Amino acid sequence: MSIASSMQISASGLTAERVRLDVISNNIANVNTTRGADGQPYRRQQVVFAARQAGGAFAAALAAARGEGRNGQMTGAGVQVTAIEPDRTHDFKIVHDPGHPDADANGNVRLPNVEPIVEMVDMIAASRAYEAGVTAINSAKQMQQRALEIGRAS
Amino acid sequence: MLDRLFGGDTFVATTRALDAAALRHQVIANNLANVNTPGYKRQEVQFEAQLARALAQRDNPCVRACTPISAIKPQVVTINTTSMRNDGNNVDMETEMVQLAANTLTFEALSDRIAGYFSGLKAVINGR
Repeated sequence: MSIASSMQISASGLTAERVRLDVISNNIANVNTTRGADGQPYRRQQVVFAARQAGGAFAAALAAARGEGRNGQMTGAGVQVTAIEPDRTHDFKIVHDPGHPDADANGNVRLPNVEPIVEMVDMIAASRAYEAGVTAINSAKQMQQRALEIGRAS
Repeated sequence: MLDRLFGGDTFVATTRALDAAALRHQVIANNLANVNTPGYKRQEVQFEAQLARALAQRDNPCVRACTPISAIKPQVVTINTTSMRNDGNNVDMETEMVQLAANTLTFEALSDRIAGYFSGLKAVINGR
């Protein structure tokens, strides 16, 4: 039970980091997109992570009744992506390029607020966190296999 | 009869420690899953100190009656006092990975011990 739920927790981490990698890939792919659906240049997107609490009120009451999680201290239930939000704190980059189809009257083009270097750093952080989750799942598997060997004829 | 086979201090303490190791793995997995969650505070499992205290005082009849070894439960505590990064998260990936490796080894050692206890019993029952 406990080992299986620790695998679920690690899996939630893998899902969240995967979503983050998808968003980062999308940002990098759109680094030069000057015309989005709303006619504006592409705006960089960011994922919002939040810690997930175990099961809600019923699970908390059940755990309390079983004598687990005294003082309201329960283990969390992993992580979830609560939102994918546009980055409004950084302005669009302005480049002088009169030949560009989206240039304004002064010959300036507004480019997306995507910084490839920032995206690369985020990508490394996400893939390291993903690897850590994979290691945790492998450890859980190893522990579960070892527990199954208890009582096996040797 | 069976109570005495499976109710010894060592056996009970080993199974409790195995439970604690499984819970600790869950807590470490949760810390690792939230390594990029802003404001997340890491959790840890406290168990060994309580077990050591109960084992040290097991000859005291009062302590034995009030807090038997089988009643010791691992406690999950949240560490709110530290911060690793600007976003308030205090998960240190290196520490967690070391604890993960150490905890896996502890779990394997404990389950080996329990398996050894059972194979010892089996040898006694079979008489060879």
